[in-house]
Amino acid sequence: MIDLLIFSKVHKSLKIYCFKLIILPARALVGKTMLFEPGRFQLMDKPDATRHIKTRTKKESLTKEERQKQLEFQNEAVVHLNSLYNYALHLTMNPDDAEDLVQETYLKAYRFFNSFERGTNCKAWLFKILKNNYINRFRKNSKEPGKVDYDLIKDFYHSIKDIRSDTSEAESDYFHSLLHEEVYQALHSLPEEFREVIQLCDIEGFTYEEIANMVESPIGTVRSRLYRGRKLLREQLEEYAKKYGFNTDKDQ
Amino acid sequence: MNCPKARILMSAAVDGELSRKEEEGFLLHLTKCLECKGEFEEAKKTKMIIKERIIQFKAPQTLVHSIMQLTSVSAIEHEDTLFFE
Repeated sequence: MIDLLIFSKVHKSLKIYCFKLIILPARALVGKTMLFEPGRFQLMDKPDATRHIKTRTKKESLTKEERQKQLEFQNEAVVHLNSLYNYALHLTMNPDDAEDLVQETYLKAYRFFNSFERGTNCKAWLFKILKNNYINRFRKNSKEPGKVDYDLIKDFYHSIKDIRSDTSEAESDYFHSLLHEEVYQALHSLPEEFREVIQLCDIEGFTYEEIANMVESPIGTVRSRLYRGRKLLREQLEEYAKKYGFNTDKDQ
Repeated sequence: MNCPKARILMSAAVDGELSRKEEEGFLLHLTKCLECKGEFEEAKKTKMIIKERIIQFKAPQTLVHSIMQLTSVSAIEHEDTLFFE
C-alpha cells in the first residue's frame, strides 16, 4: 500500500519532471523554430521576437540616453546657475527664497529638458521657468517675499565676493563714484516692470526678442520700458550724486 | 525723424537692436538734435553703470551641490524604475 503510494508519488513527480524536461523546451523550441519557417507563423511570431530584442536595447540605450541627458543638462543648463541665482535674488530679495526658487527651477527644467528646443538660448528658457515659478509661488499664493531690507542687502554685498572686476575706477565721472549699493538701491526703487527689463537687458544681456518672450509683452513695450526705466534710474542716480556733493550738470 | 520717434528708438539704439534703416535715421537725427544726442549719451552711460556696478553673486556651494545631486538622483531613479518594469 505504502509502496503503491510512494510509487504513485514518484510517478507523479516523475511525470512533472518529464513534462518540465521534455515538453517545455519542446514548446519553446517549436516557438523558436516557427520563426525560421516560411509562412504565416513567421509573420505572426517575428514582431514578438523583435519587440523583445527592442525592449532590451531600449533599456540599455535609455540608461545611456539618461546619462547623455544628464551631461547635456550640466553643460547647457547648470552653467547658468550663478545668473539664475542672481535673478532669483533680484526677484525675491531674500537669499533663502532665491535658493528655493533656483532649486525648483532646475528640478522642473531637468524634468522637461526634452522639450527644450535645442539650439535656442537655454539661459532664456531657464529664466522663463524661474519667472513662472516665482509668479506661481509668490504672487498666486499671495506669499509676497519680504520687503526690501537695504541693511540686509548691504551686509550681503559685503559678505559675498565680487565676481566682476572693477575696471572703471580711474574714471572720475560722477556716475563712477557711485557705489554698488547705491546703484542697487536705485534699481530697486524702480517699479518692477522697469527694473525687470533693465535687469534682463543690461545685467543678463538678453536680446529684446528674448526679453519680450520672458515678460510676455511685445518688443515695442520692451523698448519703451527700457527707455523710461533708464531715464528713471538716471534721475535716481543723479539724486545720489547730488546728495554726495557731485555737480551733475558739470559732467554733461 | 523727429524727437518723439527718436525717443522710441533710443533704447534699441543703446542696445544695438535697431535695424540698419532705423539706425541710419536715428544717427542722422542726432547730428541735428543736441538734446536727443545728450540723452542718448546719458542712456549709454546708464547702461554701462548698471553693467559695471551691479554685483553678480556666486551661488552658494550648498545650492550648487543640491542642483548637481538633483539631476543625478532623478537619473538614478529613472534607471531603477526601468529595471523593475
